[in-house]
Amino acid sequence: MQEKDFILFDDYLSGSLDAESIQAFENRLKADADFNLAFNDYQQAEAFLEHKFKNEEQNQRFKENLERISSGYFKKEVSGKAKVRRINPWYYSVAAGVILLFGVVIAQQFSSPAYDDFANYGTISLTVRGSENDLQNNAEKAFNNKDYKDAEKYLTQLLQKDQGNLELQLYKAVSLVELNNYEEADVLYQNVIQSPSVYSNKAKWYLALSKLKQKEKSESITVLKSIPEDADDFESAQKLLKKLE
Amino acid sequence: MSQKRIHEDQKYIEGLKQNNSFVIQSIYEKFAPKVINYIKQNSGDEDKAKDVIQETIMTIYNQAHEKNLKLTCPFDAYFFLLCKRKWLNYLKKSDITGVTINEELLSDGDDALELAFETTLNEQQHELFEDMFQELGQACKDLLKATFKIKSMEEVAESIGVTYAYARKKKSLCIGQLTKMVQASPKYQHLKP
Repeated sequence: MQEKDFILFDDYLSGSLDAESIQAFENRLKADADFNLAFNDYQQAEAFLEHKFKNEEQNQRFKENLERISSGYFKKEVSGKAKVRRINPWYYSVAAGVILLFGVVIAQQFSSPAYDDFANYGTISLTVRGSENDLQNNAEKAFNNKDYKDAEKYLTQLLQKDQGNLELQLYKAVSLVELNNYEEADVLYQNVIQSPSVYSNKAKWYLALSKLKQKEKSESITVLKSIPEDADDFESAQKLLKKLE
Repeated sequence: MSQKRIHEDQKYIEGLKQNNSFVIQSIYEKFAPKVINYIKQNSGDEDKAKDVIQETIMTIYNQAHEKNLKLTCPFDAYFFLLCKRKWLNYLKKSDITGVTINEELLSDGDDALELAFETTLNEQQHELFEDMFQELGQACKDLLKATFKIKSMEEVAESIGVTYAYARKKKSLCIGQLTKMVQASPKYQHLKP
């Protein structure tokens, strides 16, 4: 390909050719295999550069987040394995007795499921390289340390700058529930649920937990039933549902 | 490929694209154990499995952005095939002698095989572009970086002190040069399906 061909590619892609030239260009694409291949590769080069540079910071954030989740997962794997030890057979009969005893106690307790048994919000990650680092850092730390009062304060500040951010809304709602501020929390949950986002099912599950905490059993059941089978929390939802019904 | 129906597991691809922690976490919980098992049974260990899984997720993320990846098969089969390929490639490259590879028959269906194959090719292509970009002259590198970061060609032209027309022409010539270098590479021939 010659220089003028590459300039022509750019003109075509940026829409600066007139109708006649577009026709000629497209005819040549059909007739000239090398030209077609070069144009194809040119577009791929452009897509590569676009992702590499336009998304540079986003890519870096993804990499860091992935690293964090991966390390967390594998740490759990390793520590889970390390606990496996050989047990003297004699212990089994003692263990069986203890389990039986626990079983009775738990069965009694679980006759009405408690919010604390199901409310596990895990840790969140908001940290982004750049200017807003401090606020995001604080919000993340407070939330992960279960200091929901501060978490709510920081998340509110973050939301002032980024109102439509559903992820932040979800975390703020969790903090509000922990602070027994249900009304405001429910509004946020409903908002996230109604969005076509990846957080929608998560919000349903959390809303059901909020209703459970408020001892609104039938409302909790209704929300639980709306959680689809492919949601991450489907199994937990079914478990809770069984206990509530 | 465009005619095929998109699988409902596309949600994992979208989740990765958006850097959604819930989705990444659930990929680990649902799909990592099978990969870890496989690698351990085939001369690897947990650390190696960690690397393979992380690299595979990175590959999927890149293609979700660059190629607008559409999943036409279950994520499980696709992900496992990619991890497996990566691991077998690693074994081949590191030339570990006496390796026994338990190649099982695949029953994941053609869609998964086809898509995983395509993804592997695209990944190699991504690496080739990356390598060739590094070979470009500094002026081209700077201009392309500015072009795709700033978006408006007027501003790009201003930032490097040239006219708008020149910046645009130069941009297409630099991409053209990158295209030529990629096409001239011996690796390029292997990248065509």
